[in-house]
Amino acid sequence: MDAIVVDSLTYRYPAGREVLKNINFRVGPGEIVAVLGLSGCGKSTLCLCLGGIIPHYLGGELTGQVWVNGKNTRDYKVARLALEVGLVFQDPDTQLFSATVEDEIAFAPENLCLPAEAVRERVDSVLEMLGIGALRQANPSKLSGGQKHLVAMGTVLALDPAILVLDEVMAQQDSWGKRMIKDILVDLRRQGKTILIVEHDLESVSIADRVLVLEDGFLIWDGQAADILKEREFLLRHKLADEV
Amino acid sequence: MGFIDLHNVYYRYPGQSRFVLNGVNLSISKEGVTAVTGANGSGKTTFSKLLAGILTPTKGWVKLNGQFLTSLTLAQIGRQIGYVFQDPEKQLFCETVEEEIGFGLRNLGLPLDQVALKVQEIMEYFELTRYSQSFPLSLSAGEKRRLAIAAVFALEPELLVLDEPTTGLDPYRKKLLGDYIEKMVASKRGVVIISHDHKFIARHATRLIRLQDGQFAEG
Repeated sequence: MDAIVVDSLTYRYPAGREVLKNINFRVGPGEIVAVLGLSGCGKSTLCLCLGGIIPHYLGGELTGQVWVNGKNTRDYKVARLALEVGLVFQDPDTQLFSATVEDEIAFAPENLCLPAEAVRERVDSVLEMLGIGALRQANPSKLSGGQKHLVAMGTVLALDPAILVLDEVMAQQDSWGKRMIKDILVDLRRQGKTILIVEHDLESVSIADRVLVLEDGFLIWDGQAADILKEREFLLRHKLADEV
Repeated sequence: MGFIDLHNVYYRYPGQSRFVLNGVNLSISKEGVTAVTGANGSGKTTFSKLLAGILTPTKGWVKLNGQFLTSLTLAQIGRQIGYVFQDPEKQLFCETVEEEIGFGLRNLGLPLDQVALKVQEIMEYFELTRYSQSFPLSLSAGEKRRLAIAAVFALEPELLVLDEPTTGLDPYRKKLLGDYIEKMVASKRGVVIISHDHKFIARHATRLIRLQDGQFAEG
């Protein structure tokens, strides 16, 4: 079974423009897929569709279907879909609300009514994996942009979902943070997780197996990552690479 | 004396014991592009907010053009220093993109026809014309950042402080931003960039300072 199936997906924001236009793709288990495209091309909207935020919370007009781990996103509540898809938003402030990093990461496992010991184990494991143990008692709202993204990643990793959707989580990281996230994602792929990453930096997609390119709401490329990196002219024509 | 001088500046957030900045002495001129790097959480954003008078040192002082920053109002500082926040949503508040870019220009007292011309020019450069009547907070993150940068660039301040300006920008828009920064530098305006984007820094910075353990090291 494919981990993600997007079938004829078209979406228009309430009283807004059509942002996604007849998108079709499938992602298998254990694949890392990078989504590229210019600002405003629909990448973040696609992430919101995969997590069920669209259509459940944002309304608008959605046609077509999105399945995650065999579940049609129209038929399940966002809270239920969160067990299948861990979505880290482009702006981590929108998903951080607890008084400490520890509470933030424990929040979702506690809501699953896991025993306290299991919650603590998950929190400890995630803090260690992301190298943010020293921030355990820090207030998430006071952290730097890069640290907030690591905490937001921690909150979804604590749920151990089969699919991760990460919207520009590397953009505000220092070199160490970028390298660490890439290593973690490669390790998660080894464990069979499916990962979809949105990034602008071509170097950041070096770990991807496949690349999707969106342009003005259309999917204009779906191919192997190694292939697109050879397509210098395509990348330049669609303004996805530097000229030098 | 630089355009901005920091003397023995310490800063810690209220209620916290740790100093984010530990006795910083630094001068920043109006020439070229100063890039500030440092690990996540090293205090880069705190430093940039001290430069723009958004935060006040716990100890020490900051002078702008020879005047203590604490003796100036934010409006007076804003006429000389343009600040782009790491999170662009913190500075977008108008109902349309066009109004957002024109807001500061109108407050400077420019004649309305000049405001309109400048707004047009900036919207075209930053490819925001198609969104001129859109609500700024409905834009994508990359578009919001372009708008926040455009609104500050329109004011042509003497020094620009840009906190992570390339986050969310695609390579093409990064190039547009870089070209505009070079244009500002050519017209004798200074730029301070807080960034992890090594490629962008390597391309545009004329001075590199690294923040570590609350202090700066050059190069």
